[in-house]
Amino acid sequence: MDFSIIIDGLFTALQPINLMWLVIGAILGTIVGILPGLGPATGIAVLIPLTFGMEPISALILMAAIYYGALFGGSRSSILINTPGDGSSIAATFDGYPMTKKGQAGQAMSIAAIASLIGGVMAIFGFIFLAIPLAQFALNFGPAEYVMLFIFALSAVVALSMGNIAKGFLTMFLGLGISTIGVDLQSGVHRFTLDVPHLTDGIDFIVIIIGIYALGEVLYNMFNINKAKKPDQNIGSKWFTKEQWKKSLAPILRSGPIGFFLGILPGSGGTISSLLAYSTQKQIAKNKEEYGKGAVEGLVAPESANSSAAVGSMIPMLTMAIPGSGATAVMLGALIMIGIQPGPLLFENSPDLVWTLINSMFIGNIILVVINIAMVGMLVKVLHTPPKVLYPLVLVLSFLGAYTLGYSTVDFYILILAGVLGLLLRVLNYPVVPLILALIVGNDMEQNFMRATVIYDGPVSILFASPITIGLAVLTILSLSYPLIIKLLGRRKKKDHPMTM
Amino acid sequence: MWKPVLSSLPFLLLVACSSSASSEGTEFPTERMELIAPASPGGGWDMTARSVHRAMTNDDIITQDFNVENMPGGGGEVGWQYLQRQDAHSTSVNSSLLLTNNLLGQSDLSYEDFTPIAMLLTEWIAWATASNADVQDADELISQLQDDPESLIFGLSPALGSGYHLSTSQIAMLSGVEPRDLQVLVYDSGGEAMNALLGGHIDILVNSMSVLSSQYEAGEIDIHAVTSPERLEMFPDVPTWQELGVDIEFPHWRGVMGPPDMTEEEIAQYDEWFGEMAESDQWQRDLESNMFFDFYMDSEETKAFLEEQDALFNDIIESVGLMP
Amino acid sequence: MYIIRLSLPVLFIVVSLIYAVMIFQLQPAMLGEPNAPRYFPLIICSGILIFSIVDLINMRKENVRQNEDLEMLSRKSTLKIVGIVLGFCLIYTLIFEHLGFLISTILFLGALLFYLNGVKHWILNLSVTIITAFTTWYTFSFLLEISLP
Repeated sequence: MDFSIIIDGLFTALQPINLMWLVIGAILGTIVGILPGLGPATGIAVLIPLTFGMEPISALILMAAIYYGALFGGSRSSILINTPGDGSSIAATFDGYPMTKKGQAGQAMSIAAIASLIGGVMAIFGFIFLAIPLAQFALNFGPAEYVMLFIFALSAVVALSMGNIAKGFLTMFLGLGISTIGVDLQSGVHRFTLDVPHLTDGIDFIVIIIGIYALGEVLYNMFNINKAKKPDQNIGSKWFTKEQWKKSLAPILRSGPIGFFLGILPGSGGTISSLLAYSTQKQIAKNKEEYGKGAVEGLVAPESANSSAAVGSMIPMLTMAIPGSGATAVMLGALIMIGIQPGPLLFENSPDLVWTLINSMFIGNIILVVINIAMVGMLVKVLHTPPKVLYPLVLVLSFLGAYTLGYSTVDFYILILAGVLGLLLRVLNYPVVPLILALIVGNDMEQNFMRATVIYDGPVSILFASPITIGLAVLTILSLSYPLIIKLLGRRKKKDHPMTM
Repeated sequence: MWKPVLSSLPFLLLVACSSSASSEGTEFPTERMELIAPASPGGGWDMTARSVHRAMTNDDIITQDFNVENMPGGGGEVGWQYLQRQDAHSTSVNSSLLLTNNLLGQSDLSYEDFTPIAMLLTEWIAWATASNADVQDADELISQLQDDPESLIFGLSPALGSGYHLSTSQIAMLSGVEPRDLQVLVYDSGGEAMNALLGGHIDILVNSMSVLSSQYEAGEIDIHAVTSPERLEMFPDVPTWQELGVDIEFPHWRGVMGPPDMTEEEIAQYDEWFGEMAESDQWQRDLESNMFFDFYMDSEETKAFLEEQDALFNDIIESVGLMP
Repeated sequence: MYIIRLSLPVLFIVVSLIYAVMIFQLQPAMLGEPNAPRYFPLIICSGILIFSIVDLINMRKENVRQNEDLEMLSRKSTLKIVGIVLGFCLIYTLIFEHLGFLISTILFLGALLFYLNGVKHWILNLSVTIITAFTTWYTFSFLLEISLP
């Protein structure tokens, strides 16, 4: 590898003008990440006209900064008020919000930012050394492999709802059911759209996420709204403790590579990778009972994974001109308009561009940590807002977020229905995550299954299509049987305890 | 029981919107203008709309306030239903989906419900195979299909009945292959289908040159034949289907249309704007960097062209058996 | 209380039945296997049905009385608040495109604040409503160029 070009890239990235765009992108990204419904795709799309007048490399730096900045920001609202604005920040609610309830909001946010940084940096190294071979390997994922990957991801998430497996499967099937609304690609048949044109493209999973989490959370908090004391929540220290850091390091290092690889695969890399990182972390953990109650490991694992997934998802976009997510699709379009042609030749034709980008991602991640930790003090003020004022505001932002996704009030009805459903699911102890993951991957899973039936003879040959499918099948069986084994062992140990979940 | 209620909703809302549309003065334009991209940011319609916007405003062709609005949903349906109820200040990007949605029975809107304004650009469609598949030329593919139409798997996007699908069906018919027997996998986007081609999961990718070019230049894929009437300057080595004896010319066009009942003056004004834009350097540069091809036609020509295309698509759809 | 506990599994069973009817009303595919669009939904439909029934059966083992949240929700006063908030949401949805973002948001947010926060804090309520409505409107329409009605 030619090191002078890397150093050149570093200097280009450090040019004041590029640094300026980097900071702007990071801030803007954090903001769109915090707001429900708005994500990196919108953030980048808004700036497209601005990029026309810019140097191509500055434009690329800016867009990339918005992208990973949004992921840093995404977990803020999950941690503070239990309302993720996007699929990839759902996992941050599991243990991040309980930490806030324990009075550790500041610590949760700062360690989440550090986890994102380390995950991102790991992925950048992955990018440097493995971009092209991994992009090549990812091509092996065809219809059969995707079907198995989705089945594995679903089973890992259903397995999270230990002691409640039947409810986990129930909500998973519901999510799959919602995902069948819209046009069936392979046959062109319009399914369950009730003749509403807005529904032909299906229901946007982010509307459901906002509904179930944000609206559900608001309604849930109405229970005690009149009794709620003056918020005197101790937000704790801004800095995490040494002990928390010790607990976090291993999960962060483990989850980064998971996220990175899943990010390279086109699809919903961010969500799948953070959920899988969480479930892997929980399954191998010794202190399982602490998860979901504010275990710091359960927060840093998904944060690290989704940050490295973001870097990973730029690889197929840059090396093969194949966008794997909404945000990278917008980036690809914008790059072409400003005269950069991503593709296999980009690395050969303009290595300076690529290396400047890599260096800028490096610097950008560090800047983001600084911004995010500096913002901790400001953000925790949210907790000082009286709930009676805060929750109406959350409602308005939720509706607004839903509107920007589809420019239609049809989404408002869906939002309200999802909110009621979310409230009932929560009160009656049904796990929500299987529903959401199923909704995100359901359509892809079906389409890939139908494609696979054209390529292969039957379900059995799909299962044995390649070493990858066999490996994923084994993982699926493991993740489903693991909680069963635990349960059996647990029963033998403490027969007298009643089931609590 | 929800059906009538829900299906009448968008209609009610649209009626409500239209009532707020202002009355027309004698001068046009009198207020903010909008160009609707009936899709999310990032796709072909969005790119076209943004290129138009850039060319129109950069060279001050349109001095009025002018915006691009994204209205995704239903393969254009949502944006076009909205357009139908606006006045001449609103226009929308369109493509062959405007015709095929109607022919396939997926929409009640037809091209006759709008005022044609211009044809803007086209992409040309080609067949590509992975270079390690060692396919010599398109003749080889065609003869293999003639022997066994189910032996090759096609990948295309974004829907059955799209330009990629219809052109492939037409090529099959012209070569004596039953189009219904072709094995077709549908992908969300050209990028996903390209992934499948490079990974060896499909045999033939049907897409436009802009999607194919970067992998072609890198030597990863072979492009066999293109639906343009003449060889493309940028790809001198790719023969046309016509050279290979398949009499097809199939543009994958995009144009602009306005709401119904526009006045002569308004149409003339748009003709002037778009005529000037089509000549501008900015527009030509954007076409080139996106690998789009100039396909400008004024409102009169566009009208005739749409009629001709509608008849052609009708024939293909009928013989493939996609007719509802 | 038991009605609320029962509501979900029963609702899901009803949903799966409606879903089943809709599956059979689907148009057949024009190309390839005519029933292909129905396979996956049928698996899902039976999945929902089976697991809702399992859930109903499991319910007997559950001690509903131990669920504090459920007890809370079953109170008339809670149901009233939740219902009224949802009512406001529904009204907002209905007026959003007619009155435009600004007016409908001011009405919606104002109504919520006056209802929840009480008339006593009217200065706070009014100022929060107006500031929020205008800042979000400005941010979205001008800074983010997202057109609101």
